[in-house]
Amino acid sequence: MGFKEYVARRLLSSLVTFFLIIVLNFFIFRIMPGDPTRTIARDARLLPEQRELLKKRFGLDRPLWDQFILYLVNLFRGDLGLSFQYRGTPVVEVILGRRMLNTFLLMGSSIAVALVIGMTLGTIAAWKRGSKADIAAIIFSLVTYSIPTFWMGMLLILVFGYYLDWIPISGTITTGVEYQTFWEYAADYLHHMVGPMVTLVISFIGYHFLLMRNSLLDVFTEDYMLTAIAKGLSTRTILFKHAMRNALLPMISVMALEVVYLFSGATATETVFTWQGLGLLIYESVVKQDYPVLQGIFIFMALAVLTANFVADVVYALVDPRIRYG
Amino acid sequence: MKGLKLRLRVLRRRVSNFWRIYRTSKLGLAGLAIILGYVALAVMAPYITPYDPFESVALPFEEPSPQHPLGTDHLGRDLLSELIYGTRVSLMIGLTASFISVMIGTTVGLIAGFFGGKVDTVLMRLTDTFIQMPQLPLMLIFVSILGKGILNIVLAISVVAWTASARIARSLTLSLKERPFVEAARAVGAGSFQILWRHIVPNVFPVIFAYANIAVVDAILSESFLSFIGFGDPRTPSWGMILYFASRSGAMSNGFWWFVIPPGLMIMTLALGFAITNYSLDQVLNPRLRRR
Repeated sequence: MGFKEYVARRLLSSLVTFFLIIVLNFFIFRIMPGDPTRTIARDARLLPEQRELLKKRFGLDRPLWDQFILYLVNLFRGDLGLSFQYRGTPVVEVILGRRMLNTFLLMGSSIAVALVIGMTLGTIAAWKRGSKADIAAIIFSLVTYSIPTFWMGMLLILVFGYYLDWIPISGTITTGVEYQTFWEYAADYLHHMVGPMVTLVISFIGYHFLLMRNSLLDVFTEDYMLTAIAKGLSTRTILFKHAMRNALLPMISVMALEVVYLFSGATATETVFTWQGLGLLIYESVVKQDYPVLQGIFIFMALAVLTANFVADVVYALVDPRIRYG
Repeated sequence: MKGLKLRLRVLRRRVSNFWRIYRTSKLGLAGLAIILGYVALAVMAPYITPYDPFESVALPFEEPSPQHPLGTDHLGRDLLSELIYGTRVSLMIGLTASFISVMIGTTVGLIAGFFGGKVDTVLMRLTDTFIQMPQLPLMLIFVSILGKGILNIVLAISVVAWTASARIARSLTLSLKERPFVEAARAVGAGSFQILWRHIVPNVFPVIFAYANIAVVDAILSESFLSFIGFGDPRTPSWGMILYFASRSGAMSNGFWWFVIPPGLMIMTLALGFAITNYSLDQVLNPRLRRR
């Protein structure tokens, strides 16, 4: 199987999965108890003419099959319906834009920092496996895995927000402040980002650490490592040129998985810190029963998952030829 | 009767073998001790709580004192008693939800792996899609559809969290069904169901059992968050629910640390108990890891 054929196959399978998700999304929100049109149009927060418009556009008075076709058509036009909580603003506008940017900045930087720290610690621990430092790092990562993320946020707010007054307690920027320059704005924004970012880095670090450590330990058992040692190469060369490169392979799929968080946001962290991102939007939509927005986010998440995994598969095949011929 | 006796003896030998190796892991014993401690706490709750956790017994937001070692909450209820009772709710939801999700996942994985072909393709496509969706938002969406309450929290967690065990069960089944003993069973005329039940399930079980510990950790953490944002049942407060009340009554902006710190520590320690156990089981059950 050549590279092109491999890519084509993966693309086709991604498309089929995406279609399945659309079907799932369509039915999940229509099997709810009560009137199914309630989740799309029948909400007091919409104007009567908006409700009529939605009813017509999504064919809500027609049989389910017709509704599904119309749903597909509208989806490909980029029409995901109207938000309830924002009184008729199109769902696409609610999701894209400001909130997505906030989540991108927070999640992107947190994941990057957690990756670098986790992978470095993982490499050191794997090299000195069985040492006290290694065991301490394992316990540390098991502890961080077991901490509820939202509670970690609450602790940071209590200690660094309330007692020490170093970080703001909530929000993305200070409300009611006029900024003189862009830099003032940026500084305030970053100041608000410290709390959620620290929370996220801690919650991600242990996972990255354990994965990197185990991946390296697997590589250490390979014959080419023995060869490298027998050749008398320096520890540094062995560790970073021979071991780390190969151990990075499994990390590609981890990164692909984490791309999803760029779109879903960190629901727990964003909720505790009221960071105005997509995670908070999910929470607010659940509390305010804004089903159209939830459906929209579901589709966006699925699209992100599938794209990220498709890219990861292609990258895998590029760096490791065994996969495409396997 | 004789068959049963023989099987019991095999089982006993397996258990004692397992225990002999597991005993050498200090970390594993610590994890087991934590879990058993919590189970004891849950069972003994009515006998060791100083106050009725559902009654106001003092003023609201009282600081820790000899009468109330962990202070009181927004309604003047004794927080220590609430925490002890919360063990029951959190432990029960964590165990039930993970049990259901692991059962669903294992069944899906066994069927997909054993029968292969189109069944496998369809089931695995579903699994792969779900496994990569962020779990919390997905659970939130399900809870918002199902409504509040403990039962719905259990359902939402199970419906979302089954995918990892499906993957594990499938890959194990795929390798097991090619082994000589399965071939032998087939040669003497055993049916599909019999092979699955008698030869594959017993070999899949130990690995799934180790994984189940991580499923419990995830379920406990998910439950605490779903309760924290107010989807729990206020009449049976879990630790997450207590934190919900804390957050609602402004505990963080007023510095009521005794309302915020202990419930989280309870969640963390219980989760850690299962996480450590999982880690040690991995070392014990996976000979490759032991050798490394």
